[in-house]
Amino acid sequence: MTAADPRAIRVEAVESLLAEKGLVDPAVVDTIIEHYETNVGPLNGAKVVARAWTDPAFRNRLLDNGTKAIAELGFGGPEGAMMVAIENTPDVHNVVVCTLCSCYPWPVLGLPPTWYKSSEYRSRMVAEPRKLLGEMGLEVPATKKVRVWDSSVEARYLVIPERPAGTEAMSADDLAGLVTRDSMIGVAVATVPGSD
Amino acid sequence: MTTLADMGGRAEFYGPVQHVPEEPAFHADWERRAFGCAVFASGVLNPTGPDLDSARWAIEQIEPEDYLGPYYWRWLRGLELQLEQLKWLRPGEVDARIQGEPPLPGGRHVAKVQTKVAGATLRMIARPTLPRWMAAHLLPRVIGGNRPTLRRPRFKVGGAVRVRSERIDTHTRQPGYVTGKPGTIVGNSGAARFSDERALGRRSKPQYVYTVAFAGRDLWGEAAEPDTEVRIELFESYLEAP
Repeated sequence: MTAADPRAIRVEAVESLLAEKGLVDPAVVDTIIEHYETNVGPLNGAKVVARAWTDPAFRNRLLDNGTKAIAELGFGGPEGAMMVAIENTPDVHNVVVCTLCSCYPWPVLGLPPTWYKSSEYRSRMVAEPRKLLGEMGLEVPATKKVRVWDSSVEARYLVIPERPAGTEAMSADDLAGLVTRDSMIGVAVATVPGSD
Repeated sequence: MTTLADMGGRAEFYGPVQHVPEEPAFHADWERRAFGCAVFASGVLNPTGPDLDSARWAIEQIEPEDYLGPYYWRWLRGLELQLEQLKWLRPGEVDARIQGEPPLPGGRHVAKVQTKVAGATLRMIARPTLPRWMAAHLLPRVIGGNRPTLRRPRFKVGGAVRVRSERIDTHTRQPGYVTGKPGTIVGNSGAARFSDERALGRRSKPQYVYTVAFAGRDLWGEAAEPDTEVRIELFESYLEAP
């Protein structure tokens, strides 16, 4: 990125004006950026999923009230006022989109990736989910229903992927390593150990 | 009436999704600053909790080429527009700053205490983990839109409904693709502030928010993929008896 990037120049001008007007404190802006680059990300969600896979009572609490169960691990805040966990099963595959903007469960997944916010993903996922998931590398068997969750008002959805077979002996910490961001959006399944 | 942001099912936006598995949160420093400034300014403007409805409506009113540009550029242009509408920024002020012109005389300034309170609040939640009571009870109440109501819900879970046939062209959480379509209520999220009115700065009564399930065939007809369903939360006033 060069100093001549007109977008960078405009952002700098806006920030300097807002700082003069008291609408921004640049030192706190640094803190906010650092928070979303280091503290908040898919690792939080992976811990939630791994706990749900290994602790049936927690899984039940998570499905009953996502916000409260996720708060047990200390995660919450902006875009997480009503967290809803949705579980993939042998019969139903769940996938999340926001067709109207880019609603996303920040406390457990961090800030959304560009593809999630793209016009192509937003337009297609509600209308041709099987085709789009296939293009993204996930063939959902015809025997499974595909359920698309369009985030629009209060709820922010976290997909709990199916626990891969052959992971019975793994600890929650190790299981968390199998839970990718994509699997918690629903455009992938959890990583099968030894497959990468 | 369709609006640019209402993208669900609109073939003019179809194309391959440029999927990058390990993508970082930001791709340039200006994206970081635009994001941080928007979050902070929202904290100053809305000390009792964020107003995403107004922010989204501002983003929906920027020029289409800005909207279709990089994501945080959309945020920046929306923020500029919102601050102009609220008279915090004067028309041309940003361009004058870019040209290196001296600051315009006068103009509004936020009370120092407001800046400090917003900063302290944001610092308080910018931690790797939060106390459980804060994450479970305090923040959802401050940040979330749920509000109590004495009214009873008009619809029951399990009941059939139809989305009304009109869609407004100011901010709304009623996508075009469900407009006029039949669905089934599968959940009641309780009552919440009504986004469509709040985006325009109007007060209105909280409305029940329902999760409604739509069969693929009811949305897309013959073109629907087999055994697919869309679920979406919709405000009560969008819904009618079937």
